[in-house]
Amino acid sequence: MDLLDLIDAVQSVADGVLFGATYSLLGIGFTLIFGVMHKINLSYAAASIGAAYASLLVMSVVQAPAVLAFVAAAAAGGVIGGLVYLVGFRFIPLANPLATLMSTVGLLLLIDEIIVHATDGVPLSYPALFSDVIVQVGPFGLRGDLMFVFALGCVCMVLLLLLLYRTRLGLATRAVSQQPTASLLCGISTTRVNVLTFVITGVVGGIAGAMTGAAIGMLSPLLSLPLTVKGLIVTVIGGLGSIPGAIIAGLIVGGLENAFQFFRGVSERDLYIMLLLFAFLVFRPGGIFAKSSGRD
Amino acid sequence: MRRLHAALAVLLAGSMLSLPGSALAQERTVKITGFGAKSGVVRVFGINSEAAMKAAAGEINSKGGITLGDGTKAKFAVDFLDDRCNAEEGISVVRRIASTDAFVAVGPTCSNVAESLFGILQKKVGDASDSGLQFPIIADVAAKGGLAKISEWAFRNVPSEFEMYKSLIAWVKKEHPDLKTMYGGVEKDFAHSNATYGVMKGQAEGAGLQVLGTSEWLLNDTTFSTQVRDMKRANADIVAISAHPFTTCGVLKEMARQGVKPKLLIGLTSSSSIETLQGCAKQAEGIIIPTSFAPVTPEAKLAAEQVAKFGGSADLHSAAAYEIMFILKDVIESQKIMAKPDTVQADRNKMRAGLAALKETKGLLGTVGRTADREAIKPYLYVHAKDGSWQVLHKPTL
Repeated sequence: MDLLDLIDAVQSVADGVLFGATYSLLGIGFTLIFGVMHKINLSYAAASIGAAYASLLVMSVVQAPAVLAFVAAAAAGGVIGGLVYLVGFRFIPLANPLATLMSTVGLLLLIDEIIVHATDGVPLSYPALFSDVIVQVGPFGLRGDLMFVFALGCVCMVLLLLLLYRTRLGLATRAVSQQPTASLLCGISTTRVNVLTFVITGVVGGIAGAMTGAAIGMLSPLLSLPLTVKGLIVTVIGGLGSIPGAIIAGLIVGGLENAFQFFRGVSERDLYIMLLLFAFLVFRPGGIFAKSSGRD
Repeated sequence: MRRLHAALAVLLAGSMLSLPGSALAQERTVKITGFGAKSGVVRVFGINSEAAMKAAAGEINSKGGITLGDGTKAKFAVDFLDDRCNAEEGISVVRRIASTDAFVAVGPTCSNVAESLFGILQKKVGDASDSGLQFPIIADVAAKGGLAKISEWAFRNVPSEFEMYKSLIAWVKKEHPDLKTMYGGVEKDFAHSNATYGVMKGQAEGAGLQVLGTSEWLLNDTTFSTQVRDMKRANADIVAISAHPFTTCGVLKEMARQGVKPKLLIGLTSSSSIETLQGCAKQAEGIIIPTSFAPVTPEAKLAAEQVAKFGGSADLHSAAAYEIMFILKDVIESQKIMAKPDTVQADRNKMRAGLAALKETKGLLGTVGRTADREAIKPYLYVHAKDGSWQVLHKPTL
């Protein structure tokens, strides 16, 4: 490997880490819902992409600066999150884990197909901020749009952590997550907490969808499935229910994905990511920040 | 009693008068069933094919329809079924069509469906030992090379990408002798893109261009920075991208970000569509693509207008579906197809024989040749993206 290869390798990993912020946000959504309800919401990434599409619809009606696409996506994400709870969880027997899992698989396909029917599957251009900006750091160039995406992701994560650890809603959410029966006895409405969790994760997902669209410059229904897989991998590697874990895991997966792409090519890239997932499931099932005694 | 009879007579006369014309005159209808992807990410192909078939049927019907073997006139009706670009569903859809009195089907969208589907047809006509389906199918979109060879019941009206890229590379060599090197980019997990890249690369090497390398990505990839960085390092004169609009646009946008500006950009046939311009018109500016359709003749302009009326867009794929309806009309009339429930297999045999006997057909850009292995030799031209639209760059003399 010569110097140019080394520079390219580092650059690829840096790009991957920056893009990994979108994976982190998706991972947070998955993990938060799991933390509160102990359910996996497989429709989460599709709903996030749906929210980004909805923001395009808003932008086509209202002539507004590109940054408002992110606000619109967040708002749409919140609405879709609430609807996902209503359709996929509210009236489904929660005691049966398979029932909610299947209902979210159904919702994933439903949201995907709604997007396909609304757009005929045609990819649409998504507004990117700072796409012309390249910050040169020595031989490396950092993309302005990816740095914006990364910064926005970090802001969202900080806000989410503040919400969870500095507000009454956060306290209620953590209480329901840890002791649902006890929190009921304390007068906390678990249904309300569940709805709010879906709305909040929907908002985060909407921003993640918009960030993905902005980073690629395009939106396509093709994105739902790979982002669902990435979100799940991040959730497992980060540890189910761990927000700091999801943040770090997202960045790691983003960076490693590009590293494997660089060294082993596209045909082997996903293989190594999957091997990483299995390695975590076997050797560290509690995720990055779990104590080693967490296994079994 | 007399009043009752009178009332009954009035009622009978009234009901006779209120019967639709079809019941009295019995104008016949010939249903042509198309199939392709109408859901999933390639839904737009099915939408366009259906619109094109309906537009062509409308044109034919407005000019008197078709004449059947017994001399009666009939109108075309078009039905279109969804195979979701899935081989199993494609086979299931065709078995369903073949269980009706249909004597031909038009489709599919995806090459992977066509490849499997043609495999269930009887390989050689008249082979009693082969229990394969004896049902003619003519493909409009599935573009992977040489698929009709699979069965004598399979036909295609798709352009030969081999010929188109052979001609395009030769033209590039002639017009731009200073361009010596090429770098490729391919959507590795899509049959059409992958096969066409093989053609592009082979033709480039054959024409004396030095292929410096190839970047690969997948159909639903989200980042292209590593691939484009390789492209940037190669610094080739020509970049050839064999990918569908979503990743073509993703790569073109990444190329713009990284400042990769080749002297010439070549794209995949399927990307010469409105989707590419909707996704990345600015970045696609200048990309050259060979195509078998552009609204440059009066017939092609009319077809484009009619297809748009049916909610579709005319491109090289849907134009093929439009042409197929006229081919079917000609074969129905020349083979004296009866289109009756008791002549179904005979009609299928006649349709197959008629399609196989064609030496040339009328195309929207000119005469389309037919090969012995049931493929089309379609006229083509080169278009390039300019000012947010596809414009004709060059029309080769064939």
